[in-house]
Amino acid sequence: MKLVNRVLARTGSRGAQRLLGWATAVSLLATAVLGLLVVPPDAHQGDVQRLMYVHVPAAWLAFASFGVVFVASIAYLRTGQIRWDRVAVSSAEIGVQFCALTIVLGSLWGRPVWGAWWTWDPRLTTTAVLLLIYVGYLSLRRVADSPSRRAHWSAVVGVVGFVDVPIVHMSVVWWRSLHQEATVLRPGAPTMAPGMLATLLFATVAFSIAYGYLMAVRTRVGRVEDRAAGTILSRPTPRAKVPRRAATPAGTPAGTPAGTPVGTPPSAEDTSPASALGLAAYAPRGGGDA
Amino acid sequence: MRDWSYVLAGYGITGAALALYRLELARRSRRAHRLVAALTGRPTPDGRSRR
Repeated sequence: MKLVNRVLARTGSRGAQRLLGWATAVSLLATAVLGLLVVPPDAHQGDVQRLMYVHVPAAWLAFASFGVVFVASIAYLRTGQIRWDRVAVSSAEIGVQFCALTIVLGSLWGRPVWGAWWTWDPRLTTTAVLLLIYVGYLSLRRVADSPSRRAHWSAVVGVVGFVDVPIVHMSVVWWRSLHQEATVLRPGAPTMAPGMLATLLFATVAFSIAYGYLMAVRTRVGRVEDRAAGTILSRPTPRAKVPRRAATPAGTPAGTPAGTPVGTPPSAEDTSPASALGLAAYAPRGGGDA
Repeated sequence: MRDWSYVLAGYGITGAALALYRLELARRSRRAHRLVAALTGRPTPDGRSRR
């Protein structure tokens, strides 16, 4: 945990982010040059096989992103620290990008090779389900009405949703599929030409750097957004101006109208700034915030 | 030649998706900084977070 905290703190600095940004740009450009110009075309599929150098790393990074969501969700459920929720949602957002890219790139590859943009193949279908699970994860966060409930619900989905990742990976083994079987992540040596394998691994490193960069930026944006929401909620609201003569029962939070039970959700007449701006989900949360 | 159109479309979409997401993050960051500055009265210059 301490190591993860240290890594998050380091990548959160502006200098580290700028460095990561440049590393991302250079490595992705190098991937494009290698994939488009340097590596020879496939003997059977021709030039269209060059899509592998972006399709496969995007898929692997989608899996890795959802793996981070899984780990961060468990960490949140164990510790209750909101920083883990922020890591999880950041990784889920980026994972959805990579997963959508995987499907689009696979579709572009499938059209000339299979003759179809889409088919209800086990690998494709399970990948589409994976995308829907994490789109649902992000949608769920907009429904919850309190930060702790939002973090708790999404952490549960983050843990349960990860079950689909091994299913996607094993789908080509368990069911008859148009999609080729694994050529790198398989028992035994990879069944690929060394030049192609090296380019694929380089592309994976480039995508990993891009993931790290986007994670660093996204978690920083999350911190600022939470701070903005917290600032809104900490401002006095019209409801807080309770006349002094209205006796406040012991144990009732300050600013709560007399007779209001503790924990009562905001009513439909809630006129707080946070409610007006649609930011009810952001309530300031004490302890453990990054 | 037709194969190349699929390949170039794929690489282009990849680059565009990553770049657009990065721009979206920058927009969200600026918006949140502006909001904090408007509410607290203390500007956060150029969207830079204060520590």
